[in-house]
This record gives sequence, C-alpha cells and structure tokens, in this order.
Amino acid sequence: MALAVENVSKQFGSLVAIKNLSLSFDVGSIYSIIGPNGAGKSTIVNMIAGSYTVTSGTIRLGSTELSKLPKHRIARLGVARTYQNLRLFDGMTVLENLEVCFFPQSWVTLLGGAKRLRKAERLDICHACLARFHLSDVADVLAGDLPYGRQKMLELARAFVTEAPIVLLDEPAAGLNHTETKDMAAMIAGLKRQDRAIILVEHDMDLVMSISDRIDVLNYGELLCSGTPDMVRTNERVLEAYLGTTEELDDIRKLAQSRRAQGGLRSHAGIVRH
Amino acid sequence: MGNAVITRRLGLLVVLALCVVLLALVPKFPPYYVRVADSILIYIILAVGLNLVVGYAGLLDLGFIAFYAVGAYAYAFLASGQFDIHLPFIVILFIGAAVGALAGVLLGFPVLKLRGDYLAIVTLSFGEIIRIAINNADDLTNGPQGIAGLDRASLFGLPLTSPVHFYWLLLALAIMLCAGVYYMERSIVGKAWRALREDQDVVRGLGINTTTLKLLAFALSAAIGGAGGVIFGSFQRFVSPESFTFQESLLVVLIIIIGGVGNIVGVIAGAIVLVVLPEVLHFAAQYRLLIYGVVLVTVIVLRPGGLVSPRFNLGFIIRKVRTLWLSPSKT
Repeated sequence: MALAVENVSKQFGSLVAIKNLSLSFDVGSIYSIIGPNGAGKSTIVNMIAGSYTVTSGTIRLGSTELSKLPKHRIARLGVARTYQNLRLFDGMTVLENLEVCFFPQSWVTLLGGAKRLRKAERLDICHACLARFHLSDVADVLAGDLPYGRQKMLELARAFVTEAPIVLLDEPAAGLNHTETKDMAAMIAGLKRQDRAIILVEHDMDLVMSISDRIDVLNYGELLCSGTPDMVRTNERVLEAYLGTTEELDDIRKLAQSRRAQGGLRSHAGIVRH
Repeated sequence: MGNAVITRRLGLLVVLALCVVLLALVPKFPPYYVRVADSILIYIILAVGLNLVVGYAGLLDLGFIAFYAVGAYAYAFLASGQFDIHLPFIVILFIGAAVGALAGVLLGFPVLKLRGDYLAIVTLSFGEIIRIAINNADDLTNGPQGIAGLDRASLFGLPLTSPVHFYWLLLALAIMLCAGVYYMERSIVGKAWRALREDQDVVRGLGINTTTLKLLAFALSAAIGGAGGVIFGSFQRFVSPESFTFQESLLVVLIIIIGGVGNIVGVIAGAIVLVVLPEVLHFAAQYRLLIYGVVLVTVIVLRPGGLVSPRFNLGFIIRKVRTLWLSPSKT
C-alpha cells in the first residue's frame, strides 16, 4: 500500500505553509521529513491524518482519496499518528489508553456483530503491545502519572497497537534526553516492517540520520531535496537552509559584534546567542 | 480457614445485612420520610442518567429535564382520560424510555458538533422550548393547568398507589440502573466516553466517530430521563409544565457536581444531600434558600471535585469487599 501526496498546497489565511508539494511513501520503509522551523513538516502530517484540510491537491492511500474524508475515517483506513505535544488520556490507565483503540467502528459491531473483538482478545493484543514497548509493569498506572519518557513510549505504543500500515510520528524524540533518544531510535528502527510505512517528523538529526531510509527536506513549504541520509547530509542546499550561506553568516556575526559593542548587558542576557 | 477469616467474613455479612435492613426499614417510617426517600431515589435515577452525558462523555447538558417531561407527558397521554387511552404502566415505561431516547437523538444530531459552553446553552434552550411548548399546546396538554387524574399504576397485578409501593419500585430500578451503568462504565464504550472527555480530537484520530459516541450517551441518558418521567407521572398522577423548569435541570446537574462527577457513589451522595438539605432546613423558613446556597458554595470551595473522591467509586468498593472476603489473612 502506498501513500501519495500529490501537488498539495496549504494556506493559512495569507500564509502559504505548503506549496505544491508531491511526496510518496511506500510500506516497508522509514521516512523522515525534516526542515527548519516553520517549513511545514507538521502541516503535512496533520493533512495526511485529516486534522487539516488541504487547500488544493490530493492525498491518496492506495486508490482511496484521503483528503476528502473526515479524520476518523482516515484513521480507520490505517493511518495512525502521534502528536507533537503529548496527548494521552491522562486520567485513564496505560492499558486503557490502548484498549480505546479497539472501539467498535460501526453500530453493527458495537451491538455485538460478528467482527466485534472479544474482550480477552483485545486485552491479549494490548498486553503484547505493552510488552513490546516495555510498559508491562505500568499497565494499571494512570498515563498522566508516568514519567515523560514513558509517556512518549505509550504514545508510540498507541500508534502501533492497531497495526496500521501508515504510522505518522510527530517529533517522537522531542524533550527526551540523550539515552532516551537512543532508545527511541532503536525502538522505531525495530518497528520497521514490510507492511508498514513509518513517517517521522523530527529535529534530532542523529535519530533521523541513523534510522531513515529516505529523508525529505522541506523549506518554506517546498521540497528542497529528497534522498538517503548520506545524500542529504552533503547536499549544499540543505546546509544552506539550516545554517545559511557563508555571506549571511558573516552578516550575522557583524551584527552581533556591533550589538555587543552597544551594550554589554544585553549580551549577558543571552539575547545575542540566538 | 483461620478464625480471623471467619470473623472478617462475618463482619462483612453483618455490614451487608445492616444495609439491607436499613433499606427495608424505610417503608416503616412515617409517610413523610418515605416520600423523601422516593424523591431521593427519583433524583438518583435522573442524576445517574445525566451523569452518562456530563460525567462520562463530558458534555454539559442543561436541558435534561426536558426528557423527564417527555416521559411524564407520555404517561399522562397514554394513561388518563385526556385521550381516553389507558395503557399498562410497564408498557408506558418502555414507551417513555423510547420516546426520551428519540428526543435525545433528535436534539443530539444538530447540537453535538458544538462544544462546551455552546452545547450547554443550546441544551438549556431545548429544555425551555419543550416546557414552553407544553405550556402553550393547550389542546394536547391543557397548558399550564396540566393534566390531572392520571391512572393508578400497577405492575404485574400489584398496585402502585402509595409512596411505599413506589419506594420498592424506585429502589429496584435504581439498583438495576447503577449496576447497568457500572457495567457500561467498564465496557469499551465507557472507556471511549472517558477518552472523549479528555481529548476529542485524539479520539477521532483513533478512528472513532465521536458523533456516534456522543449520540449514544445522549440517547441512553435521555431514555433514563424518559423512564424517570413516566414514574414521576404515575406517582404524582398529575403533570403540569411547572414541574419541568430550568431549576430542575440545574438541580440534577448540581447533584452530579456536588456529589462527584462521573462517579455513581458520588451521584448517590449528591442526591441524598441535595434532596434532604431543603427538608432539614424547613425550620429556617425564609432563610432556607440562603443557607442552601451557602452550603453549596462551601462544598464547592472546600471540595471542588465533589463530596466523594473519584477514587472512592463503585469499582473500588467492589474490589475492597472482594479482597476482604477472599484474602486468606491480613498481611
């Protein structure tokens, strides 16, 4: 199954967040979308998942056009996601956070139709998933009471528990320390499967470079370059987008120096550092 | 089996027996107390019903009493000289629940896209619309005069005439309802409702149609309200629009908030407190409302989560009893 983003644009008022972007993702690989702040990375994820509508263009999963469907229908077709800021059900236990994913999807199943998953089966799947994400020991703890790193893990588990073929991870390593980030990278790499496409939006370059099969670099809503980690690492346009050109860099240095000369206090406040 | 175990089990049985005896003794009290008990039970039923929407699904419904009115008028239409229809009580009980659910769905479809304050205001208006419609549909409802002389109800040949009869009926219904809601709460539907209360967008992202989920809560809650209305009608044997004012809706919401949102034990406690309080305050005559208000504010200030802690719920009590009964010895 393939996910295709075709000539998609997104406009927020007068701001064009995504300009005529085309990307395609196939199962069996891990993809990363990177780019400077405001490049439109999260916007893409939100459009695929149906949280945002597209201004123009289409998003297709196989032969189904996602961009016309409501969010819950997109999820049912097999698009699961995590969120940039943790969005767990804090007042429910870790196990319950996963169980909710198996809510019957139609009135018929809800009222006991043939496809309804038995409670025991549901619990088996959830427990197996918790074990996979090293959360078995906290199954009955309220999600909101977990330490941050494990909450991140739980959100990951929630995205994978239904075996969705397309999984969107919006900054899975944000806020994690170095060790936790490494664990997260290993975990995500281990989740790569022939029948699943994992699409990451991430700032942590070590993580992105170590596990991605393809990296798409966005800048100002346009595709800057696309390729393997090695290709992206050495691409001049990418370096430019991230670090600026050498002339620009010189300009910034000069400006900083003149500011410093103007008032020592402000540099103490850390303003020039940025 | 050690002595300690036997003592503990005996103790449990004694406590259980005391509860049963206490409930069974109520009808022996003077009629006034039985009436208060009936009132408490009716409000428990209503509040448990509304709690499905407010407590579990997290939707503030300020027009709940409209469903109660629909049920009461269903009884008035179908068991009185008004249209000379005299259906049995049990049949109308189901019709009342069905009509209530239908009204819930009809209200739900257009308004469930709204959230928070907007939903509260629309449901409030719905409650008022129903009441005003009843007030003005003279041909059907006799308007503000109401419909009097409703049939005496009977259930399986047993007459339902005195407050004592209704006490038993209401007690049985309330227990069944609490058991049903407890089961629902623990089912996948209950979990989905709680998730909905926490983050609606994420719930949609899990492939759940949130409109369906809310509609289900609305319909079930309205069905309970409708059934409660049928009982109210048969109990009073008189219905008029003034029984279904906004104050009544507010009282049911207050019961939930004062008792503990989303907690059956809390709702029961809330109903007892808010029904008994005005009765106890009879001595203070003109200061009654004032004291009532002060008590409510005090409770909310001191215990913003309600009188009963969310942890002290039916599940907790059942687990506690089970471990006390089963555990071989205290460790």
